[in-house]
Amino acid sequence: MRNNKTNKQSLLGARASRNISNTIIYIVLVAITILWLFPFLGIVLESFEVGTKAMDSNLWPIKFGFDNYIRLFTETKFLKWFGNTAFMGVCTALLQTFFILSMSYTLSRLRFKGRKGLMNMMLILGMFPGFLTLILIKKVFHDLGLTEAMAPVGLIIVYCASSGMGYYVSKGFFDTISKSLDEAARVDGATRWQVFYKVIMPLSKPIIIYSILMGFMAPWGDFMMAKYLINANPDGMNVAVMMQTWLSKGLLNDNYTMFCAAAVMVAVPVTAVFLALQKYYVEGVTGGAVKG
Amino acid sequence: MASVKLTNVKKIYGKNTLAVDNFNLDIADKEFIVFVGPSGCGKSTTLRMIAGLEDISGGTVEIDGVVVNDLQPRDRDIAMVFQNYALYPHLTVFENMAFSLRLKKVPQDEVYKKVTEAAEILGITEYLTRKPRALSGGQRQRVAIGRAMVRDSKVFLMDEPLSNLDAKLRNQMRAEIILLRKKIDTTFIYVTHDQTEAMTLGDRIVIMKDGIIQQVGTPTEVFDMPCNLFVAEFIGAPKMNTFKTELVFQGGKHYVTPYGAKIEVNGDKALALKEKGIESREIILGVRPEHFVLADPKDPGAIKCEILVNEMMGSELHLHVLADGEKLIVRIPTVSLTDDQRRSLVQGTTIYVTFEGKVMHFFDEETQTNLLV
Repeated sequence: MRNNKTNKQSLLGARASRNISNTIIYIVLVAITILWLFPFLGIVLESFEVGTKAMDSNLWPIKFGFDNYIRLFTETKFLKWFGNTAFMGVCTALLQTFFILSMSYTLSRLRFKGRKGLMNMMLILGMFPGFLTLILIKKVFHDLGLTEAMAPVGLIIVYCASSGMGYYVSKGFFDTISKSLDEAARVDGATRWQVFYKVIMPLSKPIIIYSILMGFMAPWGDFMMAKYLINANPDGMNVAVMMQTWLSKGLLNDNYTMFCAAAVMVAVPVTAVFLALQKYYVEGVTGGAVKG
Repeated sequence: MASVKLTNVKKIYGKNTLAVDNFNLDIADKEFIVFVGPSGCGKSTTLRMIAGLEDISGGTVEIDGVVVNDLQPRDRDIAMVFQNYALYPHLTVFENMAFSLRLKKVPQDEVYKKVTEAAEILGITEYLTRKPRALSGGQRQRVAIGRAMVRDSKVFLMDEPLSNLDAKLRNQMRAEIILLRKKIDTTFIYVTHDQTEAMTLGDRIVIMKDGIIQQVGTPTEVFDMPCNLFVAEFIGAPKMNTFKTELVFQGGKHYVTPYGAKIEVNGDKALALKEKGIESREIILGVRPEHFVLADPKDPGAIKCEILVNEMMGSELHLHVLADGEKLIVRIPTVSLTDDQRRSLVQGTTIYVTFEGKVMHFFDEETQTNLLV
């Protein structure tokens, strides 16, 4: 009996201390969430502010409206820059996915001399920051006429050129698909290419979507390489470079709320695509992680 | 329908891992041949070389008189059933079976006709619209066989198709494959590690060990006249008992003297020993468990042993016994025993067993080959 009582007391004690530690954890998490969301919320609210163009002390707009968005589309070439970036996003997503999947499938299925060495070399090369080649690329692309107004095309080439080196996640995914499926299809009369697109591709939806997502998102945030190739030519600009131009020319005070509206516009497609495909994204990452 | 001929076929992995060596075999048109052996003996590798899924390191493979060494699997006109079924998970049963026909651009009507016919034979018509994940193991295996059937190919290859099924279903599918073979009537090459499958399915059996063919023959030939100790022990379940003993040639007759007993060799075996001119010598004697019988202690051929384990299998008893410190397995049909006898055969009991003089096998101690082959 006494023993039972002690047990009950210790169980209740454990529950109380668990409640306390959970409360502390939640308070910390909520605080971090507010800290993280605050800048985004600020930008969204500012973008709807009517009556002022500069940064002001009130976070909550005095008057709501779409003036900043209207100005953004009528007074600037935002649509052109947005279109440039979207064009780069779509092209990069498609080409990069094709390159990455072909490369990873090859490395997963074919055994050839130097395969291991090639994989290690690409892994090591991938660890160097991409901007090491900045000046060289600028020079070569300038000579080829792929800078300034033609920069979007140049940038697509830059984004896709080394994309095969990002093979490891998708190779891990392909490794989990039984090789006997390939063999069965080859015996059934399929060529290697038919095996790839008729059997393996339909089974690889998560990894295809993961690759498309990664490819689509890259150009929206790229600044350094884009700035070098675009060189302030308004026809070739992407959104990141364009917005930075407002900052550097000291125009921010006149355009702050419009800047916020542009930032929101940039976030829309990326967020929408990400939310829509989020489920596959997780499957793609973890699918590749099961077996390396 | 075609013959298959393998000449000096060799497979080397890496620099010097020999998986298959000097493989020579003629497979006749419409023959059902079974490659059998323990894991790693090279049987699947040989099959995969015939299929074109492995490069051939040496020798030639011919299908219907054409050397296919450098042909892609799709150009060899073969069909194959895999151990893990290898069904396309994203396609329905119908589309799985139609896959090869679609690649060949066969007209829609014909695809429908062939697939439904095969499904009818295999009893899977009602599952045609399902995806493979909604099928049981046995049904998946039928689909895999159906996918191979619709192709009307020259050679039908099967790589351990029943290994993933449970024991009951395996027996059932084995019987179905025998029936199927009559319906399809083409050349079959079947790989298994299970000697029962090999014995029941094959017209001829190829027994392999360490990449080398040990014996090729009909089930009866390899069972009655195993060419060496490995084949003798591999074919037959439980495995053949083998023990060192002396063969004595005395007064024109041969005797064996296992564990102090003296048993006369008679029948065909005695004639064969005389024909070969074999006299007294040390040998390894092989006797199958089912050839032992209970004996009278006074019988000069009686071997005294102690029961270690009594396995009641229903129609027969498997007695694991110890004779002079060595383990033997004795198989006794329960129908031949009285109730008292059955009750007395328990662990620790001493019993006497013997065997007929015409059912033994003689092997050379050093080379382990059959003295009569």
